[in-house]
Amino acid sequence: MTYQLHRISVLIVEDNQPMLEIAKSLLLTFGVGHVVGAQNGEVGFKRFCEHNPDIVIADWMMKPMDGISFTRMVRNDPRSPNAYVPIILMTGFSERRRVLQARDAGVTEFLVKPFNARDLYKRIAQVIERPRQFVRSEDFFGPDRRRSREAAGTISNYVGPFRRETDNTSPEFFKRLRDQQTEAHETLRVMREKSGLSSGDKFNIINPKDIDFQ
Amino acid sequence: MTEDRHFNQKPRRKAEFTRPPNTLKAKVGSGGLSEEILNKAQTLLENNAVDFMPLAEIYLTSVMRGVEVAREKSESENAEMLIAQITYPTMQLKANGGMFHYHLVTRTADKLIQFLEVIESPDDEALEIIIAFHTTIRAIVMGRITGDGGKYGQDLLDALNEACLRYFDKHPHKHKDIDFDYIHKIDAPEA
Repeated sequence: MTYQLHRISVLIVEDNQPMLEIAKSLLLTFGVGHVVGAQNGEVGFKRFCEHNPDIVIADWMMKPMDGISFTRMVRNDPRSPNAYVPIILMTGFSERRRVLQARDAGVTEFLVKPFNARDLYKRIAQVIERPRQFVRSEDFFGPDRRRSREAAGTISNYVGPFRRETDNTSPEFFKRLRDQQTEAHETLRVMREKSGLSSGDKFNIINPKDIDFQ
Repeated sequence: MTEDRHFNQKPRRKAEFTRPPNTLKAKVGSGGLSEEILNKAQTLLENNAVDFMPLAEIYLTSVMRGVEVAREKSESENAEMLIAQITYPTMQLKANGGMFHYHLVTRTADKLIQFLEVIESPDDEALEIIIAFHTTIRAIVMGRITGDGGKYGQDLLDALNEACLRYFDKHPHKHKDIDFDYIHKIDAPEA
């Protein structure tokens, strides 16, 4: 049994035409039933209202409306047919502050370009298998910015790709993690001992070059 | 009774949590996609015959325009904005190079973005480095060097990295916190 992706529609908002075509082809190869394209956030929102797609994949840098503003519109505009739609933001940025900026706009997942077919599939599987709960506060509406196991609700049945190492619950993984932690603590203890620091001292007061690791 | 909290602690905000029904899961079912489909999609991606050169030309021109604007303006003049004008087209080069087989463009542009993300202002020396990156990327595209460029590609990246490090050594006060050894932490993309 595989995903019945022919039952869903996806909107791709991307101003780079060759990139839009590639993303479309990938989704059609995955078996997605209907793929709609738009050249910028403004057209994207119009298409979103017309087609009410199940997933949105948007580029970040576009004119006249970029992917972040588009996301805010989808989440907050009264005309939006589905403010809870999963939005995957594609971008070349991978710096932490950019990811946080996207997250704070209400983006569900982040896909760093260049990507391969599996990267795209992983993000789609993620929004299918681990949907986030939504939060409404004074100044934010969007997916919960904390990723908790409870939020998913389906984690116990999840058999798809793992997003990060900590998603792994196997005993072997935890043993390996504990071993790494023990080793790290031992290294720190040795460093402290050799540099004459007590357990409460911070490391930034010493120069690592001054420590003899031999 | 008032809440017992630190003076510098932000007031606790009210938030409502909603768990929308997972209609997507209900529509697609389970089981994921087969390896065969994923391999087919990957092959399609690898065989795309899009010519990256015209696209690269647009972004390179835009980088150069950003450099010229930065050169004409004084250093103090909204440095963030001046840097952003160079960063955005560079980000496009990084994002699109690898999608269209030019992995070395992606790696080189990525390094330039790292440089742009940490410098305080686009001074003359920083602009010289940016131009060196621009020239390199242009040479890669014009030479149609697809893939990671092998040893030649790595040498180019090392040389550019060295230039960045020399800048940081010379102007230790002119950049934000930086990991000086970042070059070795980037995985080489598959050719």
